[in-house]
Amino acid sequence: MEIIDRLSAGDPEKKKYYLRLFLDTMEPELGNLRGLNVSESQEPIRAILHKLKSQVQTIGAADAHALMSAQEQVIKNGGQISQSELDDTCHQLSQLIQNLQDLLK
Amino acid sequence: MSKHLKIALVDDDIPNTEVLRDFLIRNGYSHVDKYHDGESFLDTLDRFDERALVLDFDLSGGGDLNGLEVLEAVKERSPQTHVIFFSGQDSLEVAVESLKNGADDYIVKSNAAFALVKTSLDKVYDLQVLKTSERRNARISWALALGWMITLVGVALFVAN
Repeated sequence: MEIIDRLSAGDPEKKKYYLRLFLDTMEPELGNLRGLNVSESQEPIRAILHKLKSQVQTIGAADAHALMSAQEQVIKNGGQISQSELDDTCHQLSQLIQNLQDLLK
Repeated sequence: MSKHLKIALVDDDIPNTEVLRDFLIRNGYSHVDKYHDGESFLDTLDRFDERALVLDFDLSGGGDLNGLEVLEAVKERSPQTHVIFFSGQDSLEVAVESLKNGADDYIVKSNAAFALVKTSLDKVYDLQVLKTSERRNARISWALALGWMITLVGVALFVAN
């Protein structure tokens, strides 16, 4: 969140603007991720993880970033992640989105 | 101080592109355009283009072209365009492939990445300032040489008469 704090420079409306930008992408992508089945091709899962990992990094969620990077790497190397691993990621993302929504209040 | 370097950001990651654009503007780069797929950027490219391009590798959320294909098209149509890869692909092979195909730099998206992009653009800007200065000096040298020639011809004609 450091970069967003620096750019918004104490302006709460500017900070909310940036947070909404991230929420507008993360919320629908979380819905897409939840709709995917690990027993089918995992490429769509990898694509969403790749897209979201940079965003969670920018907003300072280091643990979620590390988890998503590791899962993306597994799929890229031809492996598969389990349903419980995907659920774990969705849970972390959901919490992150909730935190961002709380900040917007 | 405003730096007169035109920059194009090509990335399908909409929020991060917006944040990077604001970061660069905050750091003196007043002319920063953003594109969310390679095709829409290439539509604006011509052979006299003097922009620096900050290019994502994985553009699958945008159009059909990936970053390497955009790089290839840029180098074909506008070889002087500086290309900085800004990618979430932390892969040595991808980085080497990009640099072999003409990219000037390869930056992996990380916490420090925005500052690294700025540092890389600063180098491009310094190079552009140097080239502009060299072109100006060359023009001055030609003008002086021409002035001397005209003077000498004038003197020669005067002496001959």
